[in-house]
Amino acid sequence: MAGDRTVQEKIAGYLESKLPRAKDLALSDFVHSAGGWSHEIYLFYANWIEDGRAMRQGFCLRKDPGAGLLRELSSLREQFGVIKALEATPAPTPKAYWYEEDPSLLGGPFFVMEKVEGDVPNPWSRAGKQFYAEAAKRGKLPRSFIEALAALHNLDWRAAGLDFLGVPGAGKDFVLREIAKWESLIHQSSRKPEPVLTELLMWLKANAPEAKRLGFVHGAYRTGNLIIHDDAIAAVIDWELQVIGDPMYDVAYVLSDLNREGSPLLSCVVEREFFLDYYQQLTGLTVDLEVCRYYEILYMMRSTAFWLSASGLFADGRNKDLRLARSTYSVPVVLDMAAKALGF
Amino acid sequence: MIPATQLLNEIVTSLREVIAPAVADPYPKAQAYMAAVILEFVVRQVQERSDIEARKHEVMLELVGDLTPLPGMNGLVRGDHLSEKGLCDLIEHLYAERDGLGAETFAVANRRIREALRQLLNQDLKVAGKAEG
Repeated sequence: MAGDRTVQEKIAGYLESKLPRAKDLALSDFVHSAGGWSHEIYLFYANWIEDGRAMRQGFCLRKDPGAGLLRELSSLREQFGVIKALEATPAPTPKAYWYEEDPSLLGGPFFVMEKVEGDVPNPWSRAGKQFYAEAAKRGKLPRSFIEALAALHNLDWRAAGLDFLGVPGAGKDFVLREIAKWESLIHQSSRKPEPVLTELLMWLKANAPEAKRLGFVHGAYRTGNLIIHDDAIAAVIDWELQVIGDPMYDVAYVLSDLNREGSPLLSCVVEREFFLDYYQQLTGLTVDLEVCRYYEILYMMRSTAFWLSASGLFADGRNKDLRLARSTYSVPVVLDMAAKALGF
Repeated sequence: MIPATQLLNEIVTSLREVIAPAVADPYPKAQAYMAAVILEFVVRQVQERSDIEARKHEVMLELVGDLTPLPGMNGLVRGDHLSEKGLCDLIEHLYAERDGLGAETFAVANRRIREALRQLLNQDLKVAGKAEG
């Protein structure tokens, strides 16, 4: 696209400012990724000469489009801080390079990180499902999937400096903060009252469990948010929903039917019993299935909030992505799942 | 759910301002513009399904009729609860007054409200293409 050429030139100019010893810098394999609902994502290689040597480095640039799915709940500065903090930990993440607030550079805040080699097969596509099913049979990827999650949950998040995310108080504080966060998105987005959603919210508040332990929680740990290379998790990506909270929140997401669309495998890649056994072995935690069931219902509320936000942005003319328009028809479908989970 | 005409108008804008200009190949570019033109005609043809709103109103009328005689509920249920906004308020009031109503009345009222919610949801699912039966 002509517009992308302009962006490409601007990015090249920006990189030249960050790599002052680089000569003849040029970008190649430039892709404006179709993935991602909150940010514009650009993937490319930079090629340059430095001290007489040819250099090549892959980059990923995430830019705030101004009207993303999570609205003001999404912070690129926070994402950059998280990825930077994780660099020194065993958690598989890309290296974070630069964060920029200045809208004169690319039209909005953005950050640049390492382009990790590997693929992110789409678990909702036929090819992706097939890839994960075959990888599950080979056995290496399911283990790596669990090991990467355990690496996040075993993190000493205070030592890593991740307490800037906000640390919930004891008891129900974590859950109530999560509910309040998504309720605020609903209030920003909703164009008409949804009584089923109101019942869901009231039930969630009335039945909130206490978090027994706080950990570093990704918030959307599933295939599709993981870069895979040689049947192993090369990097965990999509750092938008992370919190300090109950690790069972991530476990519930893995266990959820929301992320497997008919596949018998959790997240389309791992058998349930193996996941539970190996995860507990690696973390020393006991999976509380009752609490996980509660969180799964909370995720249905969160999904509803996402779809209301997405369709609202489209209806308001603030975002022209047709995928957002489609999401208006997902609202009753996910509310139907929640209603069934609550017994009606 | 976004009203059909509003949704169509936004899709027309997207086709005309974002999608078609970005297509380099002349044939699919012309197709995208033509899709926008056709959808503008379709906007004038479509009408929201009145049967769905009528059925929703019936459901809420029956609900209010069934809740009013329950002990302690007469003061909670009002005529303006005969709308989706009103029903949201009623649900919030019910949970807020849970202790005062007592567990049994709360359970009966909540069960009846959930029955109504299921019927309302089934109406929306007809449009979402996921209706059962």
